[in-house]
Amino acid sequence: MTASKALRTEEFLVNMGPHHPSTHGVCRFLLTMDGEVVIKAVPYIGYLHRALEKICENRTYPQCLPVLDRFEYCTSMSCEYAFCLAVEKLAGIQAPERAEYLRIIMVELNRIASHLIWFGTTALDLGAITPFLYGFREREDILDLFEMTCGQRLTYNYIRIGGVSRDIPSQFIPKAKEFIDKFPSKIDDYVKLLNENPIWVVRNRNVGILPPELALSYGVSGPVLRGSGVKFDLRKDDPYSIYDRFEFDIPTGKYGDCYDRYLVRMAEMLQSTRIVKQALEQLPEGDIKAKVSPQFKPPKGEVYSRIENSRGEMGIYIQSPGDSKKPLRVKMRGGSYNHLQVMPEIVKGGKIADLVAVMASMDIIMPEVDR
Amino acid sequence: MDHTELTKYILEKFPGKIELLDTGKAEPFFKISADFLLDFCRSIHSDEKLFIDFLCNIGAVDTGKKFEVVYSVASVKNHIRFDFKLEQEYEGAEIDSIQEIWAGANWHEREVWELYGINIRNHGNLTRFLLPDDWNQGFPMRKNWDAPDFVRMPEQ
Amino acid sequence: MELANIFKYLYQSLANSGLPQVWVDIIALVAAGLIVFGVLAVIALFLVWWERKVSAHIQQRFGPMRTGWHGVLQTIADAIKLIQKEDITPTNVDRPVFYWAPIIAFVAAFLAYIAIPFGKGLIVSDLNIGILFIIAITTFTIISLLMAGWGSNNKYALLGGMRSAAQVVSYEVPMVVSILPIILFAGTLSMVEIVEAQAKIYQWFIFRVPFGPIAFIIYIIAGTAETNRTPFDLPEAEQELVAGFNVEYSGMKFAMFFLAEFVNMFTVCAIATTLFLGGWQGPFLPSWVWFLGKTLVLVFLLMWFRWTYPRLRVDQLMEFSWKFLVPLSFANLIIAGFMKHSKWFNW
Repeated sequence: MTASKALRTEEFLVNMGPHHPSTHGVCRFLLTMDGEVVIKAVPYIGYLHRALEKICENRTYPQCLPVLDRFEYCTSMSCEYAFCLAVEKLAGIQAPERAEYLRIIMVELNRIASHLIWFGTTALDLGAITPFLYGFREREDILDLFEMTCGQRLTYNYIRIGGVSRDIPSQFIPKAKEFIDKFPSKIDDYVKLLNENPIWVVRNRNVGILPPELALSYGVSGPVLRGSGVKFDLRKDDPYSIYDRFEFDIPTGKYGDCYDRYLVRMAEMLQSTRIVKQALEQLPEGDIKAKVSPQFKPPKGEVYSRIENSRGEMGIYIQSPGDSKKPLRVKMRGGSYNHLQVMPEIVKGGKIADLVAVMASMDIIMPEVDR
Repeated sequence: MDHTELTKYILEKFPGKIELLDTGKAEPFFKISADFLLDFCRSIHSDEKLFIDFLCNIGAVDTGKKFEVVYSVASVKNHIRFDFKLEQEYEGAEIDSIQEIWAGANWHEREVWELYGINIRNHGNLTRFLLPDDWNQGFPMRKNWDAPDFVRMPEQ
Repeated sequence: MELANIFKYLYQSLANSGLPQVWVDIIALVAAGLIVFGVLAVIALFLVWWERKVSAHIQQRFGPMRTGWHGVLQTIADAIKLIQKEDITPTNVDRPVFYWAPIIAFVAAFLAYIAIPFGKGLIVSDLNIGILFIIAITTFTIISLLMAGWGSNNKYALLGGMRSAAQVVSYEVPMVVSILPIILFAGTLSMVEIVEAQAKIYQWFIFRVPFGPIAFIIYIIAGTAETNRTPFDLPEAEQELVAGFNVEYSGMKFAMFFLAEFVNMFTVCAIATTLFLGGWQGPFLPSWVWFLGKTLVLVFLLMWFRWTYPRLRVDQLMEFSWKFLVPLSFANLIIAGFMKHSKWFNW
């Protein structure tokens, strides 16, 4: 036997998912591995396909909202918000001032909650279990605020076409202010725990580098795009609603690696608290809902409306036939859909542990991909 | 560039080949013919003043008479956004793949093919991904498709 | 209260009862083995509970609270549950390998305690090559992990097994080299004599600067890696390899791996106590209390690591060992040798 024969190695296939602890739901990767090195990764999706778009076609516009809640359940508020904005654009409805502020408070709080889930699960994926519990502790406060307002903790159905479903209770503002005041110190705790941690840095620095050109060509958006150094935030660059009234910064990364994406998201949470703080101060009195009939029929037309969600651009395309109270077509576009597409490009040649790190830093959530 | 300038610019850039629709409510909405798709995408992607570098969304629509494929595009650099669509008959619906311009179109097109049955030329990877691999019950997003256990609500 | 006197009394009364000397020795050894086994089983069960409590309090939870006082009986309940579980053997496993892996892990974990002194005179057998024996025996665990990884016929398990083999081979080197200065200064391989060389607190090897603390740190890091605990828990990295080598194990076999892991953790800390922290030496309290106390402090340290740090990647793990720990431990050995030779410090 020659030496080359004795040392014959072969690649092998690993099915990572759909029930794997770090695929955040039901994503499946078919990995071609050479030992620990990932040679090729092919994502397979569709395990969570609930045909939300088809369901929406058979419902009236207000009835669509509970379905939209399930589109991306970590930020249900944003999904409702995107849909309501689209319908309002389509039908030319203007929500009252107070409702606009309430929406922004809710959406930004929801963004913090979503980023806290990301923070916890990312740390968990890299083997640090304790931050997960810390992140969920703070998220609990936000969920309490939501529960106080609309009675729900996950699928809110709070933002309605033309406004919001009900006004905030009287304890909401003091409680929210209390949270906003204490939250930055909690972020400091997280930063102390992870930012300078050498293990955390070597696991994330120079891992899963996403160059800005590749990111744009794949339609990558949100914190992932900003992590790659592209300063683009729909709240600033294509402002919708009343975002132009608030003062906040857009954090960006430099190298486009996992560590930059981590820093961007951590900074974004603080910026969201700034927005909420300003919104709470400026909150006017007044109506919370424009008059919209449950049976209303928007005029014939079509609209694609997009908002900045915690996971990137969330877009809703609606086509209204004009003579029906049901939409002809609702197409939902979530950020994760494109993030998952670009993943095979950037995990190639890395270790299996890098795949987990990249997936965590992309913050992919499967309901948004499968819909 | 605001919406009127943008509309004017695009209409002047592609005279006769592009049509402004009045159905678009928020941003300009154009209609192009299916064989012009690739050229159109290439030129808006490379044009200095437009520089459309970001593909937001591709959505197919079944209007009950024919298919429409709606492309929502944007420019991250110039902060422009508009939509355009093309129409296809039910029989032999086929469009070009625009992956060479925006690689992210891959999955969007795959979805259009899988759920509507619109064939994508030069796609390279038309395999099922939202539906089961052995799916043989047609194209579920078409208006005339009903699941075997699906009860349609009567129109009021 | 010194336990050694009780055992001596029991042995004497057994010897005086008229049995032949051979039988007396056999009975004494079997009894000693059973006592050590029983004590360690209790310690392992206690450690599982303690780990859960420590992690819970670090994470601002309570942990188990229902079974007994603050849930002390929780692990016993868990163990009973695991014993009752169906013993599943997947279809395509390599049966003998799959079957023997947990048993080897379990046995290897306990064998090391033959040569570890629990207290003054409390040692099963004071081997004159004690530390050598312990190092050799603890390596057996790796064979069981490899067997589990290979025998499960599962790709995650195989990756986990390979990782553990690579990891332990890498970390065995700095671990052993970090122990060598101690042997150099104590002038013996016997665990009891090493402890006796640290009679006064300033004689503890951890306080013999500069080589002592460095050796201690290297030993603790390598020991953490040997026991496959965070930040070196790659063989069973839950988020990458699901559960690594024990992904196919269930019921009692899993429980054996689990208990072996905690016994190994205790072993590493017990050796560290013996080598660096003066073993059973201490004033006022009985010697075994000192030994247990020091060891549990170290165990707490390992738990603290686990619930604070993220996990390293496999290549970074290797780099850390070969590019940092190994050179450092050899440099440390050279310094210690120089000091010993030049007789600068004579404790």
